[in-house]
Amino acid sequence: MIVSVKNLVKRYDDILALDHLSLTVNDGEIFGLLGPNGSGKTTAINCILSLLKYDKGEIEIFGQSMRPEAYDVKRNIGVVMQNVAVYNELTVQENIDYFCGLYVPDKRLRKELVTEAIDFVGLHEFSSYYPKKLSGGLLRRLNIACGIAHKPKLIILDEPTVAVDPQSRNKILEGILELNKKGATIIYTSHYMEEVEQICSRIMIIDKGRAIATGTKEELKAMITMGEKITVESQRITETQLNQLRRLPSIVSADYKNKLLIIKSSKGSNNLETVLEFFKTENIQFGKIYSELPTLNDVFLEITGKQLRD
Amino acid sequence: MQVFKLCLKILKKNILTLLIYVIVFLGVAAIMASSSASEQVKDASFKQSKANIALLCEENTPLTAGLKQELAKIAHFVELSDKTEALQDALYFRTVSYILRIPKGFSEKIMNGEQIQLQKTVIPNSFSNAYIDLTIDQYLNSARLYVEQIEDISQESLVQYLKQDLAANTAIELKINEKQAAHQSISNYFFNYLAFSILSILILGLSTLMLVFNNQDLQRRNACAPLSTTNFNRQFVLAVLVFTVLSWLIMAVLCLSFTLKYGININTLYLLLNSLVFATCAASIGYLIGNLVKSPNAIPAISNVITLGLSFISGVFVPIELLGSTVLKCASFTPTYWFVIANNHIASLTNFNYTNLQPVLASMLIQIGFAIAFFAAALVLGKHRRLQ
Repeated sequence: MIVSVKNLVKRYDDILALDHLSLTVNDGEIFGLLGPNGSGKTTAINCILSLLKYDKGEIEIFGQSMRPEAYDVKRNIGVVMQNVAVYNELTVQENIDYFCGLYVPDKRLRKELVTEAIDFVGLHEFSSYYPKKLSGGLLRRLNIACGIAHKPKLIILDEPTVAVDPQSRNKILEGILELNKKGATIIYTSHYMEEVEQICSRIMIIDKGRAIATGTKEELKAMITMGEKITVESQRITETQLNQLRRLPSIVSADYKNKLLIIKSSKGSNNLETVLEFFKTENIQFGKIYSELPTLNDVFLEITGKQLRD
Repeated sequence: MQVFKLCLKILKKNILTLLIYVIVFLGVAAIMASSSASEQVKDASFKQSKANIALLCEENTPLTAGLKQELAKIAHFVELSDKTEALQDALYFRTVSYILRIPKGFSEKIMNGEQIQLQKTVIPNSFSNAYIDLTIDQYLNSARLYVEQIEDISQESLVQYLKQDLAANTAIELKINEKQAAHQSISNYFFNYLAFSILSILILGLSTLMLVFNNQDLQRRNACAPLSTTNFNRQFVLAVLVFTVLSWLIMAVLCLSFTLKYGININTLYLLLNSLVFATCAASIGYLIGNLVKSPNAIPAISNVITLGLSFISGVFVPIELLGSTVLKCASFTPTYWFVIANNHIASLTNFNYTNLQPVLASMLIQIGFAIAFFAAALVLGKHRRLQ
């Protein structure tokens, strides 16, 4: 086990930011912390990194208690903050060298690591640029390079893709997968469920500082009753037909709006087939029809009653 | 030494702004110091001048003629009509600075040994008037002495005696080491002016540095690294010290390069020491401002307001003697004032015993007190910000 957090409680005056949060991160996994804005993800990360004092709980990293003076632990952690934290007075290369130098005193080794980090994030042609000349995406990549240059065993990335263009986002996500392949354990926080689904091996969904579900994406989706969502484009469906549809076995709900029929079914097989059979019997004309498996947003919606991005 | 190197890199990035200040300041200082020195030397050479006087004589006797002759040696006579308005106008428009009225019966009273009061109307606080008063007193006192000692002395004989007596002069040689005077003047001026440049450089440099290091995201990012706060602060303080001493050294060397032709004396060494003390104080002001400002754009504006304000009220640009007492009272709550006071004291010293040095040392101690107060305020502010 790389990280162990037990019953973490953090209050900001009357606001309970973390409510007995517990989590474990295993060696070699990409652990996703998913939750809407203000759910407590960054507070949890700041507590784990000993940047914030907490009211209650225990935090262990690499089997050692995490404290502000736990320099041996910190030496093996790479941090990529939510806000880009680089020096505008230093070039790309100087910034990476500075942050890497806080962990690696050997100048020669550091030079190699800096070059590797620059190549890794694809900033080679910008190495002599000052941060102010970089685009938002490139700046995020620099932020990542500063956090990973010293090749840490544990990398904590706090929403590293906020306000990033799709191209840079893909590059960042590919990079994270590559770092994980090379042996780094990763904690990744985001409110983008697609990203978390794409790269995380285990996910914790948090809301209002509480862990509401933890597991692989398959395990999380298995927690809810919803099976699949079937969407049908149809010119006309009567209220009677809609009610008949709702009475069909395994159909949870059916709504018709703007010529789109959205049907939610419970778990099980042949749901689409049942719907198609009904359309044929009722002689309902339809255009496109497609079926989607539940997403993490559906998981969040079913557990909390609200959308992930509310 | 990553943090130390980082500080120097940040300061190096701003070196152009700092250099512009150094060049402009020294250019202005060189021009002003040379003109100030030539004035000072000119002041040192003595030349007698004559005041304008209106003599309203109501009698014409040998005694009054003798007095007029004596006064002619030190004054120009201006003819005025004996009307109150004309006399007042002459004084108001500075046509004359002294109006002397010799009343009827003046000679007779002198010859009888009686006390006599001459009526005079003068422009207040005029130096030349004192000289005229002195001559009149000398003439009348001598006359009284002769009348008392020689019985039945005639006016003509009395005037003759007085003429002889008052013709006797003591030769005075005014000895001034022009080179020394010029040196003290230039050094004093340069070291006073140093307050402006060193304040600007240190406020600009250190507040820029502080602004970078007070960035919360960077603070948090640095706190994630395996570097103790003590080690971090030690490197930061070292960088601040190096920057302060380097800035002082550069400015001091530039100052000395202008005054080197006059040689270096003990006064120069004390001026250097005082400027080092002031540099420490300027660093503390920069440190405090760095903790107060929130935007880099505000730094030059705040720096200009503080450095120009302190320099103007403390006698850096204008000699302290020309400043009003209220201004000086306000200035005494600033370190720049005590720096200038110490410089002026040092420049006037010829004997460096403890008694003479006491005011200099006191001024330096006050500057150190200011530095400690500013650093303490900055630390309290920094802690308050961190807790927030």
